[in-house]
Amino acid sequence: QDAVPITGRVTDAKTGEALIAVSVLIKGTTNGAQTDVEGNFTVNAPANATLVFSYIGYQSQEVPVNNRTSINVQLATDATQLNEVVVVGYGTQQKRDVTGSITSVKGDELVKQSSQNPVSSIQGRVAGVQITNTGTPGASPQVRIRGVGSAQGGVEPLYVVDGTFVPDLSFLNPADIESMEVLKDASSASIYGVRAANGVVLVTTRKGKAGAPRINYNGFAGIQKVTNRLEMANAQEYATLVNEKFEAIEEPRRLPLNSPSTDWYDQVLRTAQIHNHQLSMSGGTERITYNFSGSYLNQQGIVKKNDFERITARLQTDFKVTNNIKVGYNAIFSNIKTDTIPSGVLYQSYVAPSILPVREANGRYGDPANINLGNFSNPKASLDWFNQVNRSQRLTGNVFGELTFLKDFTFRTSLGINYLVSDYRNYRSRDSLTSIQFAERSLLTKGNYKGNSWLWENTLTYNKEIGANRFTVLLGISSQRDRWEEIIGTINDVPNNSEASYYFGLGDQETARIQNNGDLYTFASYFGRINYAFKDKYLVTTSLRYDGSSKFPSDNRFDIFPSIGLGWMVTEEPFMKNQTAINNLKVRASWGKLGNSNIPSNVFNQTANLAPGYIAFFGGIPYTGGNFDQAVPPTLLWEVVKETDLGFEMVTLNNRLTIEADWYDKRTEDAIFRVPFLSSSGLGGSINGNFASFKNTGVEFAANWNTEATSNFRYNVGFNVAYNRNEVTNIDTFIPQYGGSGGVAGNLTTISRLGDPIGSFYGFVVDGVYQTEQEVTGSAQPAAKPGDFRYRDLNNDNVIDNRDRTIIGNPNPRFIYGINSGFNFYNFDLQLDIQGVAGVEIYNANKGNRFGNENYTKDFFDNRWHGAGTSNSYPSADLSGINLDPNSWYIENGDYIRIRNLQVGYTLPTTLTGKWKIQSIRFYANAQNPVTLFKYNGFTPEVGGPPTNAGIDLNVYPLSATYNFGVNVNF
Amino acid sequence: FSILALGGLYSCKEEFLDVDPQGKPEESEFFVNQEQAVMGVNSIYAQLRAWPVAAFAHLALTTIASDDAEKGSTPGDASFMNDFDNFTFTSTQFTLNDYWSGQYAGINLSNQVLTRVPAITMDESLKARLLAEAKFLRAYYYFNLVRAFGGVPLVTKIPETPEELNPARATAEEVYALIISDLTDASSVLPVSYDAANVGRATKGAALGMLAKVKMYQKAWPEVLSLTEQVMALPYSLTPDYYQIFRFAGENNAESIFEVQAEVIPGNCDASNSQWAEVQGARPQFGWGFSIPTTDLDNAFEAGDVRKDATILYRGEVTPEGDKISETADNPRYNQKAYVPGSVAKECGYAKGQNIRIMRLTEVLLMHAEAANELGQTDKALSSLNRVRERAKLDPITITDQAQLRNIIWHERRVEMALENGDRFFDLVRQGRAAEVFQALGKNFTPGKNEVYAIPQNQIELSGGTLTQNPGY
Repeated sequence: QDAVPITGRVTDAKTGEALIAVSVLIKGTTNGAQTDVEGNFTVNAPANATLVFSYIGYQSQEVPVNNRTSINVQLATDATQLNEVVVVGYGTQQKRDVTGSITSVKGDELVKQSSQNPVSSIQGRVAGVQITNTGTPGASPQVRIRGVGSAQGGVEPLYVVDGTFVPDLSFLNPADIESMEVLKDASSASIYGVRAANGVVLVTTRKGKAGAPRINYNGFAGIQKVTNRLEMANAQEYATLVNEKFEAIEEPRRLPLNSPSTDWYDQVLRTAQIHNHQLSMSGGTERITYNFSGSYLNQQGIVKKNDFERITARLQTDFKVTNNIKVGYNAIFSNIKTDTIPSGVLYQSYVAPSILPVREANGRYGDPANINLGNFSNPKASLDWFNQVNRSQRLTGNVFGELTFLKDFTFRTSLGINYLVSDYRNYRSRDSLTSIQFAERSLLTKGNYKGNSWLWENTLTYNKEIGANRFTVLLGISSQRDRWEEIIGTINDVPNNSEASYYFGLGDQETARIQNNGDLYTFASYFGRINYAFKDKYLVTTSLRYDGSSKFPSDNRFDIFPSIGLGWMVTEEPFMKNQTAINNLKVRASWGKLGNSNIPSNVFNQTANLAPGYIAFFGGIPYTGGNFDQAVPPTLLWEVVKETDLGFEMVTLNNRLTIEADWYDKRTEDAIFRVPFLSSSGLGGSINGNFASFKNTGVEFAANWNTEATSNFRYNVGFNVAYNRNEVTNIDTFIPQYGGSGGVAGNLTTISRLGDPIGSFYGFVVDGVYQTEQEVTGSAQPAAKPGDFRYRDLNNDNVIDNRDRTIIGNPNPRFIYGINSGFNFYNFDLQLDIQGVAGVEIYNANKGNRFGNENYTKDFFDNRWHGAGTSNSYPSADLSGINLDPNSWYIENGDYIRIRNLQVGYTLPTTLTGKWKIQSIRFYANAQNPVTLFKYNGFTPEVGGPPTNAGIDLNVYPLSATYNFGVNVNF
Repeated sequence: FSILALGGLYSCKEEFLDVDPQGKPEESEFFVNQEQAVMGVNSIYAQLRAWPVAAFAHLALTTIASDDAEKGSTPGDASFMNDFDNFTFTSTQFTLNDYWSGQYAGINLSNQVLTRVPAITMDESLKARLLAEAKFLRAYYYFNLVRAFGGVPLVTKIPETPEELNPARATAEEVYALIISDLTDASSVLPVSYDAANVGRATKGAALGMLAKVKMYQKAWPEVLSLTEQVMALPYSLTPDYYQIFRFAGENNAESIFEVQAEVIPGNCDASNSQWAEVQGARPQFGWGFSIPTTDLDNAFEAGDVRKDATILYRGEVTPEGDKISETADNPRYNQKAYVPGSVAKECGYAKGQNIRIMRLTEVLLMHAEAANELGQTDKALSSLNRVRERAKLDPITITDQAQLRNIIWHERRVEMALENGDRFFDLVRQGRAAEVFQALGKNFTPGKNEVYAIPQNQIELSGGTLTQNPGY
């Protein structure tokens, strides 16, 4: 038959974007063509031929011509994911060759979350990665990969953006991200040596591709609302409770029950707005590719006056100078402006009595002095009075040069920089708002911060395939220098005219004061890695890193971090060739050693303290004082993590079901631990050093189900769950291990002791409430009053004392899980993500944070003891003394399950958009965190905190649901 | 490979990883010159103003626990302070730990100076004086501890070994021996007075007076007599107006022997940090209203005693400075010795500049009287006692019966020094009548137990049991 020209276009089945350089072959021949930059192809083929479309990362498709001259094809991404390219440290690998535990999340999935921080977007998507959000706009969530890997200093993973180390990702627009890879096990992370103990998150930003310019606009606008509002006692309830308390303490005073009621959260919280716009352009020629993007985000906080504004700009260009020299750069600039809120306002709103009016009849702020119940701030006055603006500009980027020589060698040199300047301005006017919120003189505070770090890395890669042997050898060296400095000045009596008058020169020069802090640290590292595959069946990855850091004393400065990973592609074996049930099966095992250098500087250096508190006065004249007042360890060793990982990856049911499971054992040795210390030394009451070891063991399981990519109804469902158990395996014997805060009165709320999870809650077990004086008489608590907790006498000595305390809760979640699903029906798409945590406790320290006559929750009012027989679980309103000691009443279940993300989209038919010369227009509606189910008596069960002090709720920022409407246009 | 090699050389350089602590003097850079020796001693004085040493913990253990004061403030506010008024505290009461830690912080600052300053090349006479000041202050902190807790761990150097870091309790006698040795050393070196720019540093008189007080707790009456007479021979004199002693103008006056120096530096509230007066100021106008005079103290003053009105600030009272204490103030009485007029700036909070009077000449006179009476030297006793009474506009005492006179001197001591620096609780214990006095007031005082406080339970736990608890707790 004669060949006739056939034309058509190849697009991505999901995104509708043109696919470039897709191979179009006539089946059974070597004849064919490639698609151009717009996805179009022309091929001469007989009318009865079959065309084979294949493209890396996509499922191949065979299409009979059937006498047509125009054939449009949609290709679906390869569900097996085995050909997927994943980014590993200092390079990329095909997913099938990976011997460690790496989870990759693509940028397209991140964008569907409408989160403002890229890290929030992976919550519930990666097995074993616990993400704890905070509601504060612009704040970074807390991330724990496979449990708590360190106790002190940085517990967050290492973030690497295009090869540059950064402290967090708050400066990054999620839409700029091509992919995020989470390196979970030691063999994949150990190439980052001393920085990798808490896992590594690699971020690759989008790069331009050769072809016609692509212009994309994505914008959304919406509102944020508090979903789980905490109800406090109203005026009548509060007065009832305080009167009950006064009766109990034999105070004759009584409050009237008919005062007007103030809901302080009404005064402080709001429905907040958010809108975000992003415009990107990319494209290029064979020699030069570029990607430019800009974005603007404006997000109000749920707390009034809290505003966050972020502008980002990014420019990336790669130049292919010659066939073997490539240079390029990537620069991300961000500008952030935040109107912050007074730090204590959420606490103030929780404790301020509801009988306190917002304003008095005379228009002045309601003054706590008028109700004589304690030193409470009027939260509204705090908020109105507060006047602070924070700004920051950050430039993160890198420049690289790459030289390919002798065919198999690539030398790459890369200089990364991370430059941050930020400042804040606070002005407290001369005002008298209430009897405790006043200033006789105005105070202007300005702070300036500058952080400057560079990272220079040189790598040499050798890539070779000899027969059935494939290997890649990497050698590299790296040096890094980080420096920051901060200057804070204050002055009184600057006039309150306008922003233009907030300058130090206008204040009382006698009161000018300056503070200055800074830090500097350096790293030097050498590393190498060999990837080896034999017959694509047996895989070996081994790496070695030799790291030194200025944070350690010179005799303990360097350490070696080795790792090995083994993989076996079972389905490549001859005995598996004849079965079709399992499409792919890989079994892998790895071991490696990691370090944690993210510790404070000068841990081992005794330095003098010249604090203002040490100023002495003689004859009325101030004299500087200084002395040594901290304990330092005699030396400091590297904190190391040794981790073993066993796992398998399986693809089955016709490539539809992907299963990945891992077991790990992660041991942190010589953990740097701040432990309380005997006060008799006079040396600060705590000391840092290598005082503990602990381990995390767990399993992770993830499954993904994909339907046929071509039908008009497609869906995919993913499920992941991880179980982790933390256990302290050693703690220096003469140094004890209490920690935590949140108990009133300096009581220690947590313990980290041998055999139990780090930072376990520790206290009395409540066995009920004393109902009558008779019950008290002869009991183990002779000083108790009816309405007080009855603590369990654990050692049966008929005395309640500290020996009756035990572990009463665990802030480290046992289970974290997520369900992620996507549906496509004709032009509609739907994304539904569910996420949750189970088997975790929270210490609700708010309930016990009582020094005087703080407000109570409605829950407390409803359930309190107020006479014999009224309650055997809640105490009386006279919640004081030993009742405030840490006990099981403060421990609450922290489990939750949440609809993390619900997004419905509609893409206009191409017949319509085609007329407008627009590739695609998609409208979407998005709800983030619309529903969270939990039992906890607080705003949110997401309570973070440092490892030995985690899960203690002291008025965390409320989380909110976000409802957006957006549009995405591809020109 | 040249770039690779270059990078390698660069990071290889050992000095690339040698980074000095930024902005903080290293161990090798501090206590190397005279200025730093002075700074080190300054820090020990500054610790006298610290919260646990000067404010809540101090007031709870020394004054609220006594018959002179009760918690005060609004009912329910800091109700834990009632644990001390009623002796219902347990060993886990955190205020005990605050008091303990605050004193030991001062002891460490002293030990650092005493260990490191001797090696400094500097003016030898200044060095000797600075070391004597450090010893005086260390003795002061230990005296606070031994009175409150009995025998405590005796830390006299910078701890290094695990054993030194976790010391057992010494006996009270051993602690007293160190205090006496430190004060004796200090008194032989310290000058009688300083130039205007150094007023407030410990003097010879302060060391001798404090030594006399320590000896009084040991009932070493001949030595008390001799030491107080040595102080009385120094150029101190009683000022005419008792009320004015406690105003800013009365700071470091002619009868002042030792005071904790406090000032407000505009713009530097971190240094303007003494809260002794703030927590006691009339609530809500002038402070927080804690540690308020009891009815018992109000009734203790004789008719015509000018000290009563200077010590107790009544609800509704108009002060000589023209401040009217609100008729609706939370409490009926406040400590007027902590009163700072409303005209004083409150930029850093209330009354941060008020000095704390630690020892005045009248206390030395009353110690002298007490010792003389114990030794049967009645004339001397009456002479000193009546000097104090004369200033208070009271008639002289003529009673010579030793037992009666003892009670009169004790009473005089109470009203002269009431609410000043917290001697009352310890005086009652020392005088052996704490149980009698407190039980008469309905307090839950248990003899054989409450004469000393509980060792903070968390310190016992931190010691792994090396520290032992006092009986009854």
